[in-house]
Amino acid sequence: MRFLRTLLFPLVALTSLALARSSTGDTVLVLLEPSLKKENFSIFFGDLEKKGYKLTFRSPKDTTPEIIKDDVAQFAHVVVFAPETKTFAGDITPQTLVSLLSKKTNLLLALSPKQTPLSSLAAEFTLILPPPGTPLISHFPKRDTPATVVPVEPPRAHHIISDGLAPVWFSGVPQALGNSPMLVPLLQAPPQAFASDADSDSGADALVEAAEKSGEGLWAGSSLSLVTGFQALSNARATWVGGIEIFSDEYINKEISKGVKSGNRQFVKDVAAWTFQEANVLRIDTVEHHRVNETLPRETYTINNQVTYTAYISQYDPELDLWEPYSGINDLQLEFTMLDPHIRTSLPPVAGEPGKYSVSFRVPDRHGVFKFNVDYKRKGWSYLSSTTVVPIVPPRHDEYPRFLSAAWPYYAGAFSTSAAFLLFVALWLAGDEREPKKGKGSKAE
Amino acid sequence: MPAAKIAPSKTAGSSQSPLLSLWKAYYESTSTRLKTIDAFLVFLMLSGIIQFLYCVLITNFPFNAFLAGFASCVGQFVLAASLRAQVNPANRSEFKDVSPERAFADFALGSIVLHFFVYNFLG
Repeated sequence: MRFLRTLLFPLVALTSLALARSSTGDTVLVLLEPSLKKENFSIFFGDLEKKGYKLTFRSPKDTTPEIIKDDVAQFAHVVVFAPETKTFAGDITPQTLVSLLSKKTNLLLALSPKQTPLSSLAAEFTLILPPPGTPLISHFPKRDTPATVVPVEPPRAHHIISDGLAPVWFSGVPQALGNSPMLVPLLQAPPQAFASDADSDSGADALVEAAEKSGEGLWAGSSLSLVTGFQALSNARATWVGGIEIFSDEYINKEISKGVKSGNRQFVKDVAAWTFQEANVLRIDTVEHHRVNETLPRETYTINNQVTYTAYISQYDPELDLWEPYSGINDLQLEFTMLDPHIRTSLPPVAGEPGKYSVSFRVPDRHGVFKFNVDYKRKGWSYLSSTTVVPIVPPRHDEYPRFLSAAWPYYAGAFSTSAAFLLFVALWLAGDEREPKKGKGSKAE
Repeated sequence: MPAAKIAPSKTAGSSQSPLLSLWKAYYESTSTRLKTIDAFLVFLMLSGIIQFLYCVLITNFPFNAFLAGFASCVGQFVLAASLRAQVNPANRSEFKDVSPERAFADFALGSIVLHFFVYNFLG
């Protein structure tokens, strides 16, 4: 198997090099506002096409091509670059965009400081936007761009964004994050930044006042998110970007300092790779369960059996378009559940066997219908969940221990009675010859 | 002869305790067979008492084992006691048509059946 794999690997790699793409499909619909020119985003779209994506462009007001036809999503990914469009065609509503997520279509959505249907949809993803017309502003560091064009340090040691990127140019609207656990912040605002009316900077005071009065989150500081990922329970991903300019050729080529290009190009590539389910995509291939020292699963298990549970997990490799065994999860847990988890134990990777996670445990002293549950939800990673139902039965009548040490006085009693009986019989029969004489003697008396 | 026998025991009784004289009278006036039965009965009684105390004080957990062990003592005791009643020459008038051989055969058969049930119930 391993030999075959090493043989096949270069072959597969060669053929798929040009086709390397997402784990869910390569068709992309781009809803591009007419006021935005395709040419202004040539690097971003060019990088996508180079990876093998097939881009289809459509204006938000056109009616074809359809996003959903006969209740089937027509594209694997939808990019909504329409930050200022107020009226969309009939088939693009917040409801259809949300239903796309349940149809496992990934979304990349750009916002702007203007009030549009998309900014009200953002609230459904627990993103709290500042009032309309208040973009992100930072006066630091000192630079020759307007205060609304902010260089942002990308996150370090992040599992989605490449390490060592130069700062990223950003201009647009920040988002305060609600308490949804499905949100994954991808780019956070610099600590000195805040959201305010760009024309009159004095509006900052009014904003602070409003925040204190209403008790709403203050749109300032590094708790703000500028690019936010959201992973639905269907594993579909939606990424909200505060401003469309981050993708533009202008910002990609703009120097962050003399001679140093901005990190925009790699950053938006990473964001698109995560959103289109290339990166951080896991799946459970198979699960197995059997008694310890056996290899095949049983129809039922008996209480107190020692049982082994094994899960095989793979990660998608976009370079090779292959699922590779993945042993990098160290906090996987297995639950053995009947209404409540009777057993919750870690499911550690097996050393030397890639992708295999295994644990042995004793089935509880309780019969009923149990489930092996694996439920792994981590920010930025595909959710893993697997449920296997097994009935746990009490021992059959002949599976109980037959002789118990606690009962040895009773066994000894029964056996000694029998032994004494035999001895008594032997004595009685041995004494038989003398007896008649005695009997006669006593009769004579 | 019997009077001579009784007289020394009486004189001895006056100097010894009544329990000892009772034991002496029993020892001298009981046939070997009856003594064998009595020894058997005492053994069964002690065994039953031990098992009952173990059940009460420690555990009755395999209750079937306790029932089997205890019932074997009690059953064997009953059978042995009835054998004693039937072969005792003093009771001859009550069991005129039961010979000692017949009584022993009944006892042996009853015991075998009892033990059969006991071992079935024990494990």
